[in-house]
Amino acid sequence: MADYREAPLATRPKTLDPNEYFNLSPEQRRAEEARGALRANLKRQYQLQLNNPHRKELIEDPALTRWVYARGNPYAHFRPTNKTSLLGAMFGVVPLFALYYIFKTDRDRKEEQIKAGTLERKFSLSS
Amino acid sequence: MAGVGFRRWAQALSKGKGSGISALLSGCRAASGLSKDSLPGPYPKTPEERAAAAKKYNMRVEDYEPYPDNGEGFGDYPKLPERSQQERDPWYQWDHPDLRRNWGEPMHWDFDMYIRNRVDTSPSPVPWSTMCKQLFGFIGFMLFMFYVGEKFPAYQPVAPKQYPFNDLYLEKGGDPEKQPEEVKHYEL
Repeated sequence: MADYREAPLATRPKTLDPNEYFNLSPEQRRAEEARGALRANLKRQYQLQLNNPHRKELIEDPALTRWVYARGNPYAHFRPTNKTSLLGAMFGVVPLFALYYIFKTDRDRKEEQIKAGTLERKFSLSS
Repeated sequence: MAGVGFRRWAQALSKGKGSGISALLSGCRAASGLSKDSLPGPYPKTPEERAAAAKKYNMRVEDYEPYPDNGEGFGDYPKLPERSQQERDPWYQWDHPDLRRNWGEPMHWDFDMYIRNRVDTSPSPVPWSTMCKQLFGFIGFMLFMFYVGEKFPAYQPVAPKQYPFNDLYLEKGGDPEKQPEEVKHYEL
């Protein structure tokens, strides 16, 4: 297993991750503890709401609300830069003109062939 | 005049502090949702803003890393590792077991892509090179064999159908008085 190489865009299994075995300094441990404390706090809030016998409504998840809001309002933070303008042109403007040109020339060519009587009507499915 | 007014309105909408229909009508937001300071905001520039944003998203200040500020619309949303939900521990008691997520945990920007039904970044059981070789080897071999089969067809010999009675002269409407030409389908 020493020569294991993960697939591109995939990750290493946790048991083969060197971080698991070598990152045990006190700072790492303190960081893990802080993360655990945050997690435990959130768990506690959720459990309190979940097991509350007087609760009648759904439990609202602020992280979900934030995610939906962020995904729904990107234009508030949009700025036209080189990259964003290029992407916008490539995906929005170029296909419009390119597809029009492609379809028009192909259909005009076919129309010419039909008018001249040279269009070959084959029975094969692939063309 | 109307053009100027329309442009103003469109600019106000895009920079608007509101969202949804209420923004269209009056430029303000309903009070039933989260307050303004717990919703995502612009990219944090000072360390205090970073600390506040980390607290807002329930992350450690050291862990919080926003997307780079290049105008692509992320704002201060945190950049989480690109891992699918399939990779998370299946035996841990998640609050939402099918999503493998706890309540209040910051969601990845592409969370809906990384759910277990969709994109999966977990390690593959077989190395990538082996997978490529097997798949493309099989496809290449089949394509090659089909090409060879087109070039050298192998089937039982066939000939045009042979009809009796001088190629069915009378049945095809030939004159009964006239003598048809002899059609011989054999050789001796």
